[in-house]
Amino acid sequence: MNDMSKVERTVSQTDIKISARKVQVYYGDKHAIKDVDVDILDKTVTAFIGPSGCGKSTFLRCLNRMNDTIDISRVEGKIMLDGEDIYDKRVDPVQLRAKVGMVFQKPNPFPKSIYDNVAYGPRIHGLARNRAELDEIVEKSLRGAALWNEVKDRLAEPGTGLSGGQQQRLCIARAVATQPEVLLMDEPCSALDPIATSQVEELIDQLRTEFSVVIVTHSMQQAARVSQKTAFFHLGNLVEYDDTDTIFTRPQDPRTESYISGRIG
Amino acid sequence: MTDATFPVSSAPAAKSSLLVVDARTRKRNAAEARFRAYGLGAILISVALLVILMFTIFRDGTGAFRQTYLEIPVTLDAAQLDKVGNRDPEDLKKVLTTSYGKILENSLQQAITSNGINVEGLSGPDVANLISKEASAQLRNRVLANPDLVGQTVDARVLTNGRVDGYYKGRVTMETAARDSNTSPAQLQLADALKEKGLIATEWNWSFLTMPDASDQRPEAAGVGIAILGSLYMMLVVLVLAVPIGVAASIYLEEFAPKNRLTDIIEVNISNLAAVPSIVFGILGLAAFINVAGLPQSAPIVGGLVLTLMTLPTIIIATRAALKAVPPSIRDAALGVGASKMQSVFHHVLPLAMPGILTGTIIGLAQALGETAPLLLIGMVAFVRNFPGAPPEGLMDPASALPVQVYNWTQRADPAFFERASGAIIVLLVFLLCMNLFAIFLRRKFERRW
Repeated sequence: MNDMSKVERTVSQTDIKISARKVQVYYGDKHAIKDVDVDILDKTVTAFIGPSGCGKSTFLRCLNRMNDTIDISRVEGKIMLDGEDIYDKRVDPVQLRAKVGMVFQKPNPFPKSIYDNVAYGPRIHGLARNRAELDEIVEKSLRGAALWNEVKDRLAEPGTGLSGGQQQRLCIARAVATQPEVLLMDEPCSALDPIATSQVEELIDQLRTEFSVVIVTHSMQQAARVSQKTAFFHLGNLVEYDDTDTIFTRPQDPRTESYISGRIG
Repeated sequence: MTDATFPVSSAPAAKSSLLVVDARTRKRNAAEARFRAYGLGAILISVALLVILMFTIFRDGTGAFRQTYLEIPVTLDAAQLDKVGNRDPEDLKKVLTTSYGKILENSLQQAITSNGINVEGLSGPDVANLISKEASAQLRNRVLANPDLVGQTVDARVLTNGRVDGYYKGRVTMETAARDSNTSPAQLQLADALKEKGLIATEWNWSFLTMPDASDQRPEAAGVGIAILGSLYMMLVVLVLAVPIGVAASIYLEEFAPKNRLTDIIEVNISNLAAVPSIVFGILGLAAFINVAGLPQSAPIVGGLVLTLMTLPTIIIATRAALKAVPPSIRDAALGVGASKMQSVFHHVLPLAMPGILTGTIIGLAQALGETAPLLLIGMVAFVRNFPGAPPEGLMDPASALPVQVYNWTQRADPAFFERASGAIIVLLVFLLCMNLFAIFLRRKFERRW
């Protein structure tokens, strides 16, 4: 494992937010993730790339235990968030998900008003003591998601009435409002047009200053544009994990090279 | 489709013109036109059947909402009704309906003579027979409720007998009356003469909706009051039991229960229960609620419990379908911001599933409202004259139910009861229609899919 030693050398330079060791995921009999070791850095955008069905989304969903909702899935190995095993029996996944927020592939705002969409997380976690504080969180989150100027006059209108790109930014604002430490994004731009995509990408770049962002993407250009670190998954294996520049210019593994040059995937 | 050949070996078929419809396309279009015709035919047949059904029910049933009354002054003779003379209700109760019958008879005779109507060919009892047997009881109740009436002359609105009533609704004619032992053409002529003087009139019949059932001899007095009340009580029981149990069971099965062999078995059996004939639930209710639990027969509580058992599978299946229809992305979204399973269900999934749940529930209730067979087995077919009390105690009192009342009346010999049965069907249909409209209203109200 030549590339692994290199990974360890680079990560020692910054804070490690999430560290995964020997992670295995099974869906029934299917071995979906095999022996994945990865360290995700704080205040960094990490991209997971790879062909369809390679397990990148599955692995992402392990990081906030969303796989728990699938009855037949089983996770082995260790995933540490700030040194604590998130699969420990004492960990309540609900508490974990408040710390590790998630944005999904398809924009999925609640069928409620824009305000209520953003305020939902703070409400259930008791982050605001009164209406004024809640208003403040909502405004800050919408500003953070670069949506405030577009919706500030119609906060009471339904979130589902926004355009696709606005809906996705609303979902990001909703995730940001719970003040997470890590933000997981599962192909957040795959349902968006190029303009909306570039807005979301700009946003991801700003979010990096506050959280660690992990993004799964099909688009290698997007990975190259937004991320500092990139992990390449293939058939359930983590093939290569390195600085984004290195992955796209000097990949170590022939499979990575074939993928980024368009020969597989 | 052996004739659907592809131009495989023949020359390239590129020379066809778009202006000429080829055989294949023509055939497809014909098939489509045929299918449309079948569909249209099916719709027309069902609409026609519905129209026929509605027409016959309304033709036969509207008569129940009109009633022929005789309006005459009645002198409540104190010598006959209050021999003691103190107007004491206890003493008044000792005077039976026969005495009131005599008073009515005399009053009718007086009215006939004072209006100068010729009653040749009619004996005294034949004249008296014009008045319903129920009328004397109604007059007695009126006096018992207000003893001061004794000794006065009051204007009484008296039910006429069923044949006279039928005569004015077209059910009885002079020809049928000639063959009828309960009436005679002479009696109907007397009725006509009274009508001419304005003493007999056919009016709107509120008492059909408010009065209890009556015996075989008095179809003119029969009403659906107790049946409506009994049906309402049962719906109350079903609403209070079936809805919370059904919805809670569905939410658990759909959102929380692990998918394993046990839940599979439960799921299959719920579907099976929905297909169990309703009379089987009646036998179950008889065995479990009456024989084992010792609840009273004919009581709305037992009927309600049986209908609850019957409605539960319907509600559970409808609710689960409604919950399943909520996109999983909403659950993901809620869990993704750190909502607990219960929060995601109650804050997001349930509101979205609400229209479906409500519609399913109301359809289940409507089904229960029209159910007859299980109620026969638990004794709700009994003849009940006394109104049940107010709930909750009233749930234990004997009562009837609308569909059972319909069944009951169609069993009786007098054709006047057929009219009453059709009238009761109209009442039942109006209730069902109201419930369905309410379901549509709720759907509209909650279905804000934004």
